[in-house]
Order: sequence, then C-alpha cells, then structure tokens
Amino acid sequence: MASEEILRTHLQELRRGTVVVASLLALRRPDYGYALLQRLTAHGFPVDANTLYPLLRRLEEQGLLTSEWNTEESRPRKFYRTSDEGEGVLSRLLDDLAAIQTSVTGLIQGVDR
Amino acid sequence: MSTLTDRYVAATLRAVPTQRRTEIADELRASIEDMIDGRIDGGEDRGAAEREVLTELGNPEQLAARYTDRRLQLIGPRYYLVWWRLLRLLLSFIPAIAGAAAGAVKATVDGDLGAGIGTGITTAFEVAVQLAFWVTVVFAVLERTNTPLNLPEWSVDQLPEAPKERQVTLVDTCASIAFLGCAIAFFAWQHFQPWVSGDGSRLPMIDPALWGSWLPVLLAVLVASIGLEIAKYRARRWTWPLVAVKTVLDLAFAVPLAWLLLTDRLLNPELVQRFEWLREGGAQDVARVTVVCTAVIVVWGFIDGAVKVRRHAA
Repeated sequence: MASEEILRTHLQELRRGTVVVASLLALRRPDYGYALLQRLTAHGFPVDANTLYPLLRRLEEQGLLTSEWNTEESRPRKFYRTSDEGEGVLSRLLDDLAAIQTSVTGLIQGVDR
Repeated sequence: MSTLTDRYVAATLRAVPTQRRTEIADELRASIEDMIDGRIDGGEDRGAAEREVLTELGNPEQLAARYTDRRLQLIGPRYYLVWWRLLRLLLSFIPAIAGAAAGAVKATVDGDLGAGIGTGITTAFEVAVQLAFWVTVVFAVLERTNTPLNLPEWSVDQLPEAPKERQVTLVDTCASIAFLGCAIAFFAWQHFQPWVSGDGSRLPMIDPALWGSWLPVLLAVLVASIGLEIAKYRARRWTWPLVAVKTVLDLAFAVPLAWLLLTDRLLNPELVQRFEWLREGGAQDVARVTVVCTAVIVVWGFIDGAVKVRRHAA
C-alpha cells in the first residue's frame, strides 16, 4: 500500500477539476460563497475555503458565472449564478466526465485481475 | 482596536490591485463572518471561531495570489529549462574569458603574476554572479509578463549523441596533463627564480650542473608522459601496451631521480651549505622519504593500470 502522502496527492489531482464542475452545477441555483461551500461539502465535494472563494471570482471573470449583491439580509452577500456560457461549458465538462467513467468501466472489464 | 478579521482582510488586500480591492474586501469579509457564524452555531465562542477560520483561510498573501492569479514562483516550468540552458551556456565561458583577460592585463601591466591570478579569479567570480543575477531577473520578468518566447519546438533532431563508454575521461586526462605541465614548469621555475634572495644571489634547488646531463632526460620523460596521457585518452581505456609504456616512463623518471638523490647529486650543493639541517644529514632524510614515496607512486600506478585493463577484459 502506498504511503498516505502519495495517496493524498493523487486524490487531490483527481479532485482538482471536479470542483469547477460541482460549482457550476450547484450554482444553477444562486448562492453565496459560504453557503455554496457547505452545500458542496454536504454532497461529498469537500473544498477548502481559500480555494473556492478565489475560484468563484475567476469563473466570474471568465464569464461562466454572473453575480449580484443581495443587501436584503443582515449582511450584504454576493450571490453567484451559472451563466448561459457557464451552462455550455458545464455540459461539455459533464459529457467528458461521463466519457471518463465509461472508459474506466471499459478498462476495468477488459483487464483480468 | 482592529479585530483579527480587519487585519486579515487588510493583509490580503495589500497584495491585490487597487481597482478590485473594495469588492474583494466586502466579499471576503462577508465570507469570513459567515464562516465564523457557522462555527458559533456549532457551539464555539467567537474569539476561538475567528482564529480557526482565519487559520483555515491560511497565509493572506497566498490567498491574494489566488484571487489575482499571481505566480508564487520565480521562474515556472514554462521558462525553467530555457533559463537553465542559457545560464549554463553563459557561465561555461564568459566568466573564464573575463577572468583571463582581466588577469592578463593586471599581470602584464603590474608585472606581478600572483596579483594577476588573484584579479583573474575575483573578476571571474564577480562576472559569474552578475550573469546569474541578470539572466534570472530577465526570466522572472518574462514569467510575470507572460511573454511568449517563440522558441522552436523541441524535435528529435536535437537529441545529443549517446555518450560512448570510456574508461579514461577527459577530466582525468586534463588533470594529469596539467600536473605534468606543472612538474615541467617547476624545473624551469626553480632555476630562474631565486630561492634565497637575502644577499641577492640566486640559488636553484637542483644542482645546475645537471642541466648538462640528467635534467634534460627527466624533462623528456615528462613530455613523453603527456604524450602517453593523450594516447590513453584516444584509446578510451587502459591496455597492456599502455600499462607497459607507462611503467617504463615512470621508472625512467623515478630511477634516475632516486639514484641522484641517494648519491647527493640532485640538490644544489650551495643550497645544502646554506641550510644547517640539510648539511647535517637532513638531505639524506629528504632523499629517503622521497625515494620511498616515488616507489609507492610507481608501484601504485602499475597496479592501477593493470587492474583497469583486467576489469575491462572481464
């Protein structure tokens, strides 16, 4: 069995890209940073806060998210929502994710253990 | 008094471009407050919750770098290999040329060889440091400005020849030749440079009378040894003929040297007279020690060569 350290690095590499997919998916319903963080964690996508907050800004700059300040509640919060452009990118990413799953399944069935 | 959160937000913003500060500040502050509230709801007190949240967010400079997509490396993978190759190329000859030039100028203008060598080494070192610094600065700027270098793509044609297996390396050969050159230079130096200059008289260490007999023979053997080193490099490895020639040359140098030493004919008689400890048996001690050392070197040279021939044959 490989060491914990090696395992952690590989898991991190594997998870890295899926945070974007999960965020674009979850933000079909508008949400602010901390609430999104909790939703993602609850759905099995543990993300570090210092990764997610800058990521949201970057996705907004790329036009994949739109944002709006909500000042109705006790403290003003910035709500993000997946844009049309974001939807387009998301569907491509989901297709690719499914393709990866198919390929992996094919490999598992094709290789005797 | 400002809270830890105020200090954290301020520290993050310091590394963020001005036009985006206000928005990032508002959002970051709200997020931090949300996270703190989340922990307070979990039963923690406010002070501890604040500390934990800020610890979780980590070094503010790193967070700021993530917000602005700034690089936390001097030279990244995109430029590293080009930087390293250019640096090695420049360092391989420019400091040497600059040092040699500066040293030669100093030595000829001042007529002082020692000062020339010193100046040469200092100059070479300074030029090397300057080169490394400026090349690195230029690449660090390229990294930050994302400048495309438009270098040709790597192709298989750039592959260097695979190194041929050789037992005798260039470094070994150069070191041996340099050593032999120094030995030859020593014979000339000890004759022309005054050994004892107290009364202005020149005293060579080796009896000048030997220039008419044995010294040319010893020098010829040393020159022949340089030839042997070159032949050995071209042959790539030790062979029995090379070992035989080397042993003959070693003996041709060592036997006359030992014989001259043991019969008190090598050292300059005037020099021996000048020093009391040489006069009273010291010369014989020097002779015996030298003869033993020479014998060891000759025998070791033979064994070394023979072992290498056998190892290659095996």
